[in-house]
Amino acid sequence: MLAYVLRRLGLAAITIWAITVVTFIILQLPPGDFVDAYAAQASALGTAISAAEAQALRHAYGLDQPLIVQYLKWLAHVATGDFGQSFEYGRPVTEVIGDRLWLTVLLSLGAIIVTWGLALPIGIYSAVRQYSIGDYIFTFIGFIGLAVPNFLLALIIMYVGLRVFNISVGGLFSSDFQLAPWSWAKIWDLAKHLPVPVLILALAGTAQLVRIMRANLLDELRRPYVVTARARGLPERRVIMKYPVRAALNPFASTIGYLLPYTVSGSVIISVVLSLPTVGPVLLHALISQDMLLSSTIILMLGVLTVVGTLLSDLLLMWIDPRIRLGQLK
Amino acid sequence: MTDLSRRNVLAALAASPAAMAWLASAAQAASDLAASGLVGKVEGPTMVTDPAKWPKTFQEAPMLAERVKAGKLPPVAERVPAEPMVWQPLEKIGTYGGTWRRAFTGPGDVENANRINASDKLFFWSADGRKIVPSLAKSYELSEDGKTYTIQLRKGMKWSDGAPFTADDFMFWFQDLYGNKEIVAAPIPDMTPRGKPGRFVKVDETTVRFEFDVPYYLLEEIMPGDTLLGGGQSVRQSQKFTFGAYAPAHYLKQFLPKYSSVEAVNARAKQEGFENWVQMLHFKKDWSLNPELPTLGPWKTVQSINNPIWLLERNPFYYAVDTAGNQLPYIDRVQLTLGENLEVINLRAMAGEYDEQERHIDISKLPVILDNQQKGNYKVHLDLGFAGSDFVLQFNQSFKSDPEVRKWLTNADFRRALSMGIDRDQLNETFWLGVGTPGSAVPGEANPQNPGPEWRKKWSTLDIKQANALLDKIGLSKKDSAGYRLRTDNGERLRIQITAIQAFLNYPKMSEMVGDQWQKIGIQADVKEMERNLAFTRMRNNETQIFIWNNGGTELLYLFPRHAIPVDPSEAFMGPEHGRYYASGGTDGTKPDDPNILRIWELFAEAASLKTDARNKNAQEIWKIIIDQQYGIGTVGQSPAGLGVRLVSNKLGNIAGQVCNAQHCRTPGNSHPETWFFKA
Repeated sequence: MLAYVLRRLGLAAITIWAITVVTFIILQLPPGDFVDAYAAQASALGTAISAAEAQALRHAYGLDQPLIVQYLKWLAHVATGDFGQSFEYGRPVTEVIGDRLWLTVLLSLGAIIVTWGLALPIGIYSAVRQYSIGDYIFTFIGFIGLAVPNFLLALIIMYVGLRVFNISVGGLFSSDFQLAPWSWAKIWDLAKHLPVPVLILALAGTAQLVRIMRANLLDELRRPYVVTARARGLPERRVIMKYPVRAALNPFASTIGYLLPYTVSGSVIISVVLSLPTVGPVLLHALISQDMLLSSTIILMLGVLTVVGTLLSDLLLMWIDPRIRLGQLK
Repeated sequence: MTDLSRRNVLAALAASPAAMAWLASAAQAASDLAASGLVGKVEGPTMVTDPAKWPKTFQEAPMLAERVKAGKLPPVAERVPAEPMVWQPLEKIGTYGGTWRRAFTGPGDVENANRINASDKLFFWSADGRKIVPSLAKSYELSEDGKTYTIQLRKGMKWSDGAPFTADDFMFWFQDLYGNKEIVAAPIPDMTPRGKPGRFVKVDETTVRFEFDVPYYLLEEIMPGDTLLGGGQSVRQSQKFTFGAYAPAHYLKQFLPKYSSVEAVNARAKQEGFENWVQMLHFKKDWSLNPELPTLGPWKTVQSINNPIWLLERNPFYYAVDTAGNQLPYIDRVQLTLGENLEVINLRAMAGEYDEQERHIDISKLPVILDNQQKGNYKVHLDLGFAGSDFVLQFNQSFKSDPEVRKWLTNADFRRALSMGIDRDQLNETFWLGVGTPGSAVPGEANPQNPGPEWRKKWSTLDIKQANALLDKIGLSKKDSAGYRLRTDNGERLRIQITAIQAFLNYPKMSEMVGDQWQKIGIQADVKEMERNLAFTRMRNNETQIFIWNNGGTELLYLFPRHAIPVDPSEAFMGPEHGRYYASGGTDGTKPDDPNILRIWELFAEAASLKTDARNKNAQEIWKIIIDQQYGIGTVGQSPAGLGVRLVSNKLGNIAGQVCNAQHCRTPGNSHPETWFFKA
């Protein structure tokens, strides 16, 4: 058991190192570098950057050094927890991300809670009452939820919100509160803005989870132990909730690996569309402007979270499912 | 939204009573915009230059009066220069206070407020964008031989921290910033007429002289222009640039090695989290990032641009007052709120969440924007652009990789035929909602550099018959079964590539429409939609055939030539190799064979030493060649498509009916936002 955990930890460390290499290489693949992106942006605003100027900028930002030197320098900094300065923001990368991190986590956690809170009961209902009117209705809505891209939904909801309900669109704060220091009124303002993005974020995930839960539970309901339990006269509620539902939940534990990075960046497109101050749009923008230090830090962070999440879910599965545990021991 | 046909637009407009007037006029004639009520009179505040009419006593904003009372600020009479800028506001004397809410798109959008702060230029343009007027500087004098340009500064003028603004700030920029290779790598064209570097000379505290070895009459136009030398501190020293003729010496000296040592400034840079002193300087001299930086514009940064809100607050030492002696600006703060995408910005604008916004407003949403006018409590103004064409097909004259394609791209009759194969009215109706002017790439007729009204239509109206005849004549007479013309080398279908980026307008969709229209003249166009960086890299590598861009800025050809003629390698769409050749003085790139391009270069180069009339004459000659040769096919322009759809809250006063919408006017800068106010 301990050997297994240690081996997994060792593998995780190697994976993270591999992620740093891949991240660095991938970010170098697009043509040009930050200075080129910068020059293109500047020329759109009417300023020409001469070749000499561009070279001076590259030198000041160390972009003229060989890739391997840039990589090692970056790795050495990262090892000491210094992620450097974002080219474009002119601020430490950790600050740029840090500002937005907790709002992102709040939003994603909200979405996860809503997703699970809706999906599990509906999934159970659909499985237990298979082919009932309710099942058909949920299935129908579920497929629509799966089929409609959620950015489109976001756009429509925003427009309807504006036209019909006359509510402020996008963002997480009203303009009056944006600069105000934290207060109960500001928290209330945030609470008023949260439901729409949370619901939109949750919708597609909900539809998917409902289908998974329904299918898993249907498999379990046909097992002999369920028949036995019923034959023994256990109340129906207990029969369903105590055994088949628990077994059907197993696959959810394995999704935790994706949930961790999701809490940080799961909402890129929705955040861009709804103009939410989360990490997603920063990542997108950093990639477009080739702001190396910022984008590589976010991607590294996502990679580490994926690795940690997968590790956690493996350990969790081992703990809750004796079959996996026993398989390992053999 | 962009594919709205005229019919749909009108239907949408009909839904709104406010838009009925426009509907009626649009039904009559597309060009009859005056009747719509959306295109107002070009106007602005009036400058009072006669010292006898200047106010003798001054008042200030309540928020500053409090600071004066608390002893944190000298009284207003000591802050306003002895020779202030005096404005007679457009409608009336305003009242102090309020926050102007506006949208921006992130740290790259610094230009958003650079333009609001544009009165930190030394000279500027009148409201109609045609006359040079004083701004930071009081006056200038250009010597008869055109070799010296003397600037008179305002007496008693101060930086936003109260330190005096003098000739020393010019000498500091010239010697310590511009003169330092690590900061400004190479001399800028503005300072090197005909390749000869110029000098700054301090005459006295408020007089600076620029000296040149050759006549440089063009400088008169460069100084008020949106140029590297004349652009002002906000735009030319923000981000990684260090141009702009003056800089706050008393503040910036501490960051330069010259005034201590390289080790000392590098140590300080490390301590503040920068790699080296150059990086630190790029941060410290940027008004959008560093709230401590002394500035001269009406508002200064209090919360920097790398936040969800970029907040500006009035500059207590601003140099302008109104005729009643109130120190400007009237509005206390400018609050720019981050909008991660343009859809959100447009929706918020329609919800009335911005008090004034013209940047990032999408013309294709005009019907919905009009529809929401009452609900959002704003009024829509359309500001017609100066530029000849918002969508230009630029033919790469230095293209090499396919000799057959090169042969046609460099053939004037081929280009003329392609131009006559474009139905500009269809483009106008579809993408400009009929509010643009179809025609060639030539700037507006009111422009002194316009060669005459006949050049708007020259080779630039739909004429399928003549286009086909021309193509047959030049040897492209063979066609395949689908009716497309064939290459003369291998008999395959001739395909011309159009490179289009999603920028400003929906260039890829517009190009698709042009491609469809060219079917009628048997030309196959392949539209390549590309990501911006990739497209620019390929363009600079001389790999693109036709590149789509606008020709904004070319209305003042000498200040911003790159979208009209290949002289600047950064955007030499019509010949990157030729652009390199010109910019390097013949050491790099390739020399064009086309005598017309050489003639354009000659006319362009000699213009720097010509006086205004002669210079404009040269520009007219250049435009005649460009249009006759069709190096860039113009389509639809002089429209409000770029920065020209302006939403203004009904609460704001002193708002112009129409503002000059052009690069050099720094829209909305030259309608002087410092004179706008919130009505009680």
